Amino acid sequence: MPPRVQTGRVSNTLLPYLTTTSSSTTSSLPSSSSQCLRQFSATTASQTKLRRQMFEWLSTAGAGLKHHVPGETNYLTRLKQGGHDDSNRPFPNNPNFISESILSEGLREEIYKRVVTQKQSLRAVSVELGIDMKRIAAVVRLVELEKRQRSQGKPLALPYARAIHEMVPVTPLADKGERQQYHESINDLPAHPLTGTQIFYPVPESRSFNRVEAGRVFSGAPALTHEEAAEIHHPYDLAQKVIEDPKSIGWVGKGEKARQILQPADVRIPHPHMIGLERDRIAHPNERHTVQHRHAERLARQESLEQEARQRAQARRDASQTTVSPTDSRFDYRIQDTKFTKETTGANGRAPWAVGRRYGVPHNDRTRGTVKIPTRVDA
Amino acid sequence: MRNRASNTLSKGKIRQSWSKYNLYNMSRFRSPATMNRTFFQQKWSAKAVSRAYHGEQVREGQWKRMFSRRIKSVIPMNTADLAADDGSLVSAGRGSGLSKEEKPKYPTRQTPYTNMTFAPLERRLDVAIFRAMFASSARQARQFVIHGAVTVNGQKMRHPSYLLNPGDLFQVEPDRVMFATGAPKNKFERRESRLAQKPAEEAEEANEAEQAEVEEPEVKSPKETLKALMAQAKSVMSNDKDTLPAKRKQELRGFQKAVRRVLSRSGSESSNILTQSLEVQFSHLTELLKAKRETKAPKQDNKPAKLQSEDDSLAFDADEPAASDKLSAAFEQATLGNDINASELSDEEFETLKRALTQMRDNPIDHTKPYATPWQPRDYMSAFAFIPRYLEVNQNICAAVYLRHPVARPGSAEVPTPFGESIATPAYGWYLRRRW
Repeated sequence: MPPRVQTGRVSNTLLPYLTTTSSSTTSSLPSSSSQCLRQFSATTASQTKLRRQMFEWLSTAGAGLKHHVPGETNYLTRLKQGGHDDSNRPFPNNPNFISESILSEGLREEIYKRVVTQKQSLRAVSVELGIDMKRIAAVVRLVELEKRQRSQGKPLALPYARAIHEMVPVTPLADKGERQQYHESINDLPAHPLTGTQIFYPVPESRSFNRVEAGRVFSGAPALTHEEAAEIHHPYDLAQKVIEDPKSIGWVGKGEKARQILQPADVRIPHPHMIGLERDRIAHPNERHTVQHRHAERLARQESLEQEARQRAQARRDASQTTVSPTDSRFDYRIQDTKFTKETTGANGRAPWAVGRRYGVPHNDRTRGTVKIPTRVDA
Repeated sequence: MRNRASNTLSKGKIRQSWSKYNLYNMSRFRSPATMNRTFFQQKWSAKAVSRAYHGEQVREGQWKRMFSRRIKSVIPMNTADLAADDGSLVSAGRGSGLSKEEKPKYPTRQTPYTNMTFAPLERRLDVAIFRAMFASSARQARQFVIHGAVTVNGQKMRHPSYLLNPGDLFQVEPDRVMFATGAPKNKFERRESRLAQKPAEEAEEANEAEQAEVEEPEVKSPKETLKALMAQAKSVMSNDKDTLPAKRKQELRGFQKAVRRVLSRSGSESSNILTQSLEVQFSHLTELLKAKRETKAPKQDNKPAKLQSEDDSLAFDADEPAASDKLSAAFEQATLGNDINASELSDEEFETLKRALTQMRDNPIDHTKPYATPWQPRDYMSAFAFIPRYLEVNQNICAAVYLRHPVARPGSAEVPTPFGESIATPAYGWYLRRRW
């Protein structure tokens, strides 16, 4: 197909004959199509109109977005709708995304101090400061790492950190004697997939149908007997039972389909003990001291139970493997017995997930189509 | 992988980037029209628009395998409500005439589930680095990973598509982060860095010639600064011979030796030692300040909040009109390495000066860096500055922990997306149907 002559170019080639100013550049052009692809005309291309508009916008409406004012957010939403409480929405078209506050430097130090120096439990610190337990653990880890890097003299990004804390909303550490502002909701209940279904379940009017029974219906478990139901005055009793003995949760289904009965929200939230505190407050409204004492006891009890469970798990892990650490070696060798069951090594003992090198089974690091990107990195 | 994701103005696509082109595109973005278009067309254009932002570096097939129709959500529970009611109140009286016509007890806000369509992509290492504000675009984050500047749980990770697990700690080299988020050098600073790489003799000549042309008071050749520092150390030694503790004297002598060594050697590593000497200078200044304060019989008064912003600006240019003249003069003296006449300053001004000096120490002029020094945030950065809750970031060491997968909750979704419900829902609908 012969090269097509574009209309825009044609006028450009005519230009030298019409005007004298640009003759030096364009008149010397040969008419071959490959050369014609480059434009040397002084006329503005269509693209520059958009650029012009952009720079116009950046110098007028968008000028305020160029630099930030310390302590304030500076989002595009500010330009779109002035007056509303939109200061925390970065995207003007998405009202459902909120720029949420981050922990201030002081609050981070406070968390580290409470957990590492004062040896308070994650749970207690989480409740006092209104910060998620996972975040508290992460903060301790990060501050620890920061301290190590400072002591090693590694480079830090201090001006960058300061700038970020100026731009983003920050939860400050409360002054002495003031109440700490809660950072986030700490009792988030994950929506269980089983609860997505709509179930028609007729219940006799004479029976009260509470959260415990609703969970059983969602997971397809038989209803509680009258004796069992009579033991549970409030779903929190069940929560206490589960804290004492996590294995008391029943199962439904057989084999691969076996799953635990869906528990009420009182069991599944991260801080069930706070329900106990609220119930005590309702029952004994005038005995603040007793209520606080019982709350502390409950916390300590739960803490000790969790500690025991961790120790038991660690002991089991230690018992199942022997660690050999030679003196002249950089490595520790952890030796673990293989259990030859169908689940661990497959039907013929050569399942891809089986432990160790299997005779006759090639290593799959070079087979085509397998993904070699690691799925986890151990800390 | 070739980068086809430029911020073109003609297409006007929104990208995961902090560029001003992207900001302008975001400001003029309009949702695709739905009138007179088939449902298929609406879904197609919604998908196209949102995929240009969410994981454009991921192939469509790869993303379709990652897509999950099941969206994680949570409901914040109120323990007082849980304690007051065992749930039987909600179920009681259905159909027996007990239900009353009143507003529900709990505020019911809708959970924006479909805004979470691209939540699986937020697990990717490159996207998480961009979300933690360690890179100015997802593409740059990807480059950092490929170039080996990123570790996950302390091990170098070279796969941008590594899917973070809850609890993973990732860390980027602070210098890369400062480069990505800092203002770029102007041509004078670029020239400075070129000169810094040249041998010292040439550099000195060029510096003098250049300083005649361009008047930049803060730019000094490393050698001159070192000389000034040594003179200062000498003067301290001679003045306070009796008052200085022995340990301090040793330090100062060591410092003098180091400076002499550097002066005698003409090498490229002078700038490296210069930063160390700045450290010494700083500690000396703070000590002086402390001593002065003690003699002045300090009284503690709460510093006004306004001061915070004042001294922040002070760190970058000393002669800010907001700051007092004495203070700025003192700061200038401090930056030049001279003694400060501290008797004229008030307590507040001391505090301010001290903080400004801290910032000067943390944010020195260093021409070997690939970004403009002292470091400043790049233009238009604040318009994109947010950190989602599923990450816990420590900016000082440029490390972050991926706490959990992003979730939706009543009224808000944690996946940062510039698109509203009118695009999110058809895009989710597009991927619900299996077309391959």
